[in-house]
Amino acid sequence: MKVAQKNKREEKLFSDILWLNAKILGLVLGIILGLVIFVATNWLVIKGGNRVGPHLSLLSQYFIGYRVSFFGSFIGLAYGFALGTLSGTLLGWIYNKITTLRNGKNHRGQ
Amino acid sequence: MDRNGVVIIGAGPAGLTAAHELVLEGIRPTLLEKSGQAGGLARTEVYKGYGFDMGGHRFFTKIEKINQLWREMLGQDFVKVRRISRIYYRGRFFKYPLSIANALFNLGIIESAMILASYLNTRIRPLAREDNFEEWVSNRFGHRLYNTFFKTYTEKVWGIPCREIRSDWAAQRIKGLSLMVAVVNALIHNQKAKTLIEEFFYPVKGPGMMWDRFVKAIENKGGVIRFHSEATGIRHDNNHLKSITYLNHGEEIERPLDHLISSMPLPRLISILQPAPPKEVMRAAQSLSFRSFIIVGLIIDKPALFPDQWIYIHNPDVKVGRIQNFKNWSAAMVPEEGKTSVGMEYFCTENDRLWTISDSALTDLAARELSELGLASESHVVDAVVFRQPKAYPVYDYDYDLNLGIIKQYLTSFDNLQSIGRNGMHRYNNMDHSMETGRLAARNILGEHHSLWEINEESSYLEQEDGTSVSSVLLGRIMNKAFARMDKIAFATATGSVLGILMFLATLWLVIKGGNVVGPNLRLLGEYFKGYTVTVKGAFLAFGYSFLWGFLFGWLFAYIRNLILAFSIYHLKKKAEAITLRDFFDQY
Repeated sequence: MKVAQKNKREEKLFSDILWLNAKILGLVLGIILGLVIFVATNWLVIKGGNRVGPHLSLLSQYFIGYRVSFFGSFIGLAYGFALGTLSGTLLGWIYNKITTLRNGKNHRGQ
Repeated sequence: MDRNGVVIIGAGPAGLTAAHELVLEGIRPTLLEKSGQAGGLARTEVYKGYGFDMGGHRFFTKIEKINQLWREMLGQDFVKVRRISRIYYRGRFFKYPLSIANALFNLGIIESAMILASYLNTRIRPLAREDNFEEWVSNRFGHRLYNTFFKTYTEKVWGIPCREIRSDWAAQRIKGLSLMVAVVNALIHNQKAKTLIEEFFYPVKGPGMMWDRFVKAIENKGGVIRFHSEATGIRHDNNHLKSITYLNHGEEIERPLDHLISSMPLPRLISILQPAPPKEVMRAAQSLSFRSFIIVGLIIDKPALFPDQWIYIHNPDVKVGRIQNFKNWSAAMVPEEGKTSVGMEYFCTENDRLWTISDSALTDLAARELSELGLASESHVVDAVVFRQPKAYPVYDYDYDLNLGIIKQYLTSFDNLQSIGRNGMHRYNNMDHSMETGRLAARNILGEHHSLWEINEESSYLEQEDGTSVSSVLLGRIMNKAFARMDKIAFATATGSVLGILMFLATLWLVIKGGNVVGPNLRLLGEYFKGYTVTVKGAFLAFGYSFLWGFLFGWLFAYIRNLILAFSIYHLKKKAEAITLRDFFDQY
């Protein structure tokens, strides 16, 4: 391998701009948020008590049908997944748009 | 073509491979070897049952054909060796590449601090010029570390001050591991590359075992190997070699030839051509120089000395440059269990003071130095043997390239002459590259067209991507993506926007839902977001506050991520440089 070619590739290692895959970012955030709500709900269900999860149940203000119960944890999982996916995808999309504006389209895909 | 018309000079790895390739195609070459055994620079000398490898030869290659050939010859008679080799300096073993903890422990806090200070100094104020090896290494590792670990050994090997070794030569030789490979290894632990660095194969009884198998295979298929046969004259006419004369046990024999493959040192080849080449070619050949080495084999009455296969001796007060511990290459190299054999390697130039002193003086020197180094006392040395290897290393001095060019141009004018191997090309070929030159020279005789001088021009013996294959290009792209810089402003804006939108919608949703008390819990945000209420106006305020906090958090995240990434790349780059320097040493 020519030294110049090697150096060029190594320079790219430092200087390339990161591009986010919006769909994958959305999926990852969706899975994480969904699981967090699922685990948090079931944790409170297992702990039990007179009033189970008075604060977490406030989520029902946004997640219609959600309750701090085993069944509710699945509803929370679905809502969390949806919210995370939307947020992550939006985040990735905005990031890529601004990066394109700031660094030019030609930079992309190198 | 006459099936007996090919003559090969030298039964080293290159010559043997050429002969083997030819016999497979039904050609019966005659191989002339000056000494009484095969193997050349990679031979194994045997003394009272003890095997002494001339320099220590690791078997690994990225040339698949050569790898197949090794396997074909030795089959299962290889041992897999886990590489252990360290620097021995002032009674302590230093891991190589240097590890901070090990160096700190061995050098002490004060010396380590001074090395660090010297390193930081060169980082802040690097030398403006990098004309020689000393400046080149100092600029990368600091002057104090250079003085401690690089100066002595390099000067022992080359016999000249580091200031007289050109930096571009150093840069050319130290090109083993690229940053990209170091990054890939660090991320995905590329087993193949790692294996080549940390493990290697070795014939059970040393490399000589391999060459003996080659000799048998060649002879079984009709090839002729004449030991104790030194080429003394080559007649040529009209750019065509006609015959070769050689001395066999004092008898001069001349025989015609169709093709000649020579692995003898270029100055010697030029000197026996008849008629003699033009004066400028003769001058160029005489200007090529070589380093030689002496191995003093010591048999020690101790079952073990140190775990390394070889150690580099960086102490300036002893002459020995490297010590091979053959038992650690393969236990079968030592016939007596309670004993150990070492090869004390002294680098020298033919006919200098070290080269010409007697064997007994060399033995005394080696035993004394082994004792001075604290590795074994003189009284433990029960036997010794001396091996001298002339022309072991072609020297890349200031004019070698120019001289080699003149010789190359002259030799390629002959239509039936090919020069192969390390000394036949005056090139620092490793064993596998030498063998490949032999194989391709044979293929050329069989009608193919290969340019032998291009082998090893751009490749290193370290296994690494060559940057041209599809997989390596893809890997390069993946690495570029993985190690790309995050745009801080873009990420900050995106995080701020998403968080702002979420808070805006969360507030608005409760406002729309309405009720007696709207958003009693969400309004607690007002503790942090001054002026915030669960109202339409509050929703916009929430957007503003959340955007601001999201922006700050996103920017910080991207900044820290980039900082860690830059540090990782810097660390890997230093590691890659250290590994390439190790491999630089390993070649001598």
